[in-house]
Amino acid sequence: MTTKSAIARPDGATRVVPSVLVGIGAFVAVGVYVLVSSIELGLWTSLGPGPGLFPFAMGGVLVSMSIVWLFQELRRPTETPEGVDRGLVIAVVVSLAVLAAVMDLLGFQLSMFLFLMYHLKLRGGRTWSSSLIIALAGSVGAFYAFNYGLNVALPVSAFPPLNLIGL
Amino acid sequence: METLNELLGGFAAAMTWQNLIFAFIGCLLGTVIGVLPGIGPVAGVALLIPLTLNLDATGSIIMLCAIFYGTQYGGTITSVLLNTPGEAASAITTIDGYAMTKMGKAGAALTIAAVGSFVGGTIATLGLVAAAKPLGELGLLVGPPEFFALMVVGISLLVALAGKSMVKALISGALGLLISMVGIDPVAGAPRFTFGMDRLLDGVSFVAVIVGVFGLSEILSHRKDSQTPAVHAPGLRSLLPSRADMRRSTPAMARGTGIGFGLGLIPGMTGSVASLLSYGAEKKFSRHRHELGKGAVEGVAGPETANNAHANAALIPLFTLGIPASPTIAVLMGAFLQQGLTPGPTLFTEHSEIAWAIIASLFIGNLLLLLLNVPLVGLWTSILRVPPSILTALILLFMVIGAYTINFSVFDVFVMIGFGLLGLALRHLDIPLAPMVLTLVLGPLMERSLRESLEISQGDFGIFVNRPISMVLITIGVLIICSPLLKLRKPKALMEDPET
Repeated sequence: MTTKSAIARPDGATRVVPSVLVGIGAFVAVGVYVLVSSIELGLWTSLGPGPGLFPFAMGGVLVSMSIVWLFQELRRPTETPEGVDRGLVIAVVVSLAVLAAVMDLLGFQLSMFLFLMYHLKLRGGRTWSSSLIIALAGSVGAFYAFNYGLNVALPVSAFPPLNLIGL
Repeated sequence: METLNELLGGFAAAMTWQNLIFAFIGCLLGTVIGVLPGIGPVAGVALLIPLTLNLDATGSIIMLCAIFYGTQYGGTITSVLLNTPGEAASAITTIDGYAMTKMGKAGAALTIAAVGSFVGGTIATLGLVAAAKPLGELGLLVGPPEFFALMVVGISLLVALAGKSMVKALISGALGLLISMVGIDPVAGAPRFTFGMDRLLDGVSFVAVIVGVFGLSEILSHRKDSQTPAVHAPGLRSLLPSRADMRRSTPAMARGTGIGFGLGLIPGMTGSVASLLSYGAEKKFSRHRHELGKGAVEGVAGPETANNAHANAALIPLFTLGIPASPTIAVLMGAFLQQGLTPGPTLFTEHSEIAWAIIASLFIGNLLLLLLNVPLVGLWTSILRVPPSILTALILLFMVIGAYTINFSVFDVFVMIGFGLLGLALRHLDIPLAPMVLTLVLGPLMERSLRESLEISQGDFGIFVNRPISMVLITIGVLIICSPLLKLRKPKALMEDPET
């Protein structure tokens, strides 16, 4: 290796970050899927452009730009991106997914109360009293404010016993 | 004269007590969003769209516009008091604003910022009044090929100015267009990319996507070490700036207004660029330029005037041509479309009363913000004392309500979660989010105009170069996209602008 190439490609900077490779791969995969689906939708009809024409062009842009990005990365890899707080991501995403899954069954008030208690008491380490007050205001308070103040209906429980007590 | 009569009619509509309340609530919510460092104006406006769904079109847009320019005011408070901008356009204000706070002049800095914001916002709105008719009439001459070409220019500008890499910006733009194509094809009526799900026949909910990509991903990308800073609100007595401060601020405000207004007309130029260039202008032209960086009042007056002039001027391309100049305006355009209003030249012919009522409300809103911001600065700063765990929980609560109430379906909450993860991945990969939100809004309009043009020409793509206006616009768009090859440099600040 010459001195010049050693300067251009310092140790540790020559490898493409795996998450960037995964990202490029995902974009290429999406682009290829769009290209194939667009052809099936029809690029041209007897009346003119078909429903697949515009998506085909965009799929082409996505694939070609991803390939250009890959070449750029191979020539000059970007620095390792900052990592994310995985604990936070998992906690927020899973709790939101559970909330969405049970909201129609338990109703907005109960499911949101439990969601807020989880984030305030268990994750946030707030005191019992402040957690309870905020969770009640955010669940019961928001339900009544939206239902009666803004005329925006939030879901009530599908279970008759819970429904009967106004949840 | 006709314009004046229409504006007066607009004032009559905007000054009904219901619309005044909507403007007031919008200003309050916008200021809160601007103050909160955890949520930007794009997600903030999107998050609050569901609140306005049951309102009439005028009230709804008045409130959302007030939220939009309210964020510009709110972002200043944290910049001055905490050295932490609430939103990107106020970042440059931290330099002299915080220095003034350390000198015990926080109150004066906040008052001058509020006055500058009022001046910039009001003058830019006058510009909107003057430009509305002529530009709207010019816009009526625009057919599908010219409309398509115009959107190509708008998108090219944003792509060219967004982030560090144009390749990544194009990926972001293509993603937005692809997401906008989910659902029934607007011309042939064929379902596209619905994966057999009936819920996707109407397309992916715009609000759920924006809240997920901008709001949820912002929360998911929070660092462990982020802490609530200590904050002390200035007393009421200290709010009045000295005569010397006012005298020094006046030329800075004039320059800031000119810069903000000019840049507001160009798609892709965000409020941060306006405030940054205004600061640069102060460094070059101010009599007290040697004091900049050490607590000079010009360093607050100029940028704060510029970002509000920009915010209001950016509404001109939206109202007259239907082109959103920034991501937040794109979200606002989504709200227009949800209310059955298509921004652009036809807005003034088909919904003239609504259009003028909204324009009149901009004057009222700017005045309300001036009255709200200065005396209530203590209230706004107290929001910053709310611990992050409570703030996060409450923001998540609003996100869930916002996503759910679009179609009253938990499906949209799942859509929001999915796009939150996509937004996190895009942030991680350093892909700008702004082109995506712009193409998401413009995608259906762009596709429709492309296909209509090709149907008119019976499939001949030459229609875009045979007509002079579209040819010029397409050439401009191509030149903008090719600008990296011509080694045109973009302002360094754009590379660090989270809104782009």
